[in-house]
Amino acid sequence: MTTMDELEDARQDLEGLLVDVLYSVLGEEAYPGDDPLPSGPIAFSRLAAHDELEDSYLGIQVRVGAVLARLLASRMMSVGDPSPDDLIDTVGELGNIIGGNVKTLLFQTARLSLPVAELTGGSEAVEGALRVAASVFGQVAELTLQPDDEDSDRR
Amino acid sequence: MMKILIADDSRAMRMIVTRTLRQAGFGGLDLIEAENGRDALEKAKAESPDLILSDWNMPEMTGIDLLKNLRANGIGIPFCFVTSEGSQEMRDQASAAGAMGLIAKPFTAEAFSDALSSVV
Repeated sequence: MTTMDELEDARQDLEGLLVDVLYSVLGEEAYPGDDPLPSGPIAFSRLAAHDELEDSYLGIQVRVGAVLARLLASRMMSVGDPSPDDLIDTVGELGNIIGGNVKTLLFQTARLSLPVAELTGGSEAVEGALRVAASVFGQVAELTLQPDDEDSDRR
Repeated sequence: MMKILIADDSRAMRMIVTRTLRQAGFGGLDLIEAENGRDALEKAKAESPDLILSDWNMPEMTGIDLLKNLRANGIGIPFCFVTSEGSQEMRDQASAAGAMGLIAKPFTAEAFSDALSSVV
């Protein structure tokens, strides 16, 4: 079985994880779906899980549009007008929470890197990755998992 | 007044932990914040908090290294992880190093109450 196959098998669990985390941090019901990210500015958090036994990596990326990033920062930090640094901090922590739970769900022996979060201009598709998405407040949050070599056998 | 040190590199998460402590019914607390493990180590030595709530994955010094450093220095402050990684392996590692527990993110006020009511 390839890692991509394993990720595909876990798709429902990953959707559930994304929905649960969004509900937890926003206090608002989120729904799985496959809508694209909005056009315009995007906030993303990226981290890597490294399996030392197999010397393999999994890239874990969480992306949201600017509107949802502001909603997340506003709710999580209890501020009315979050700054760009607040958006980065919030989306970084969202990626950290989701990354930790992905590791617990799928790659318990892996080591997680620290998340790197940024604001960027657009939302190009992540190639060679499993994508799950959820909507909350009518806005899309996206989780992508990208193996370093999708054809290699794992575990 | 009970003094609690909250160590997390995310300001958003430190604010959520603070809010959740209140939601769990723990009032009248003196809260100190640290933004990484090294900062937390210095503040633990300087401020002698009654409890440390710490993330695991932090820059400068990880939470588990913070805990090991405290214990190696004979500092036995009750220590609970608040972290996104909640596998049994992590829980065992935390317990072996002397942590009283591990609260997995995302968490609820009930999880805080259950994990901390014996010390707060």
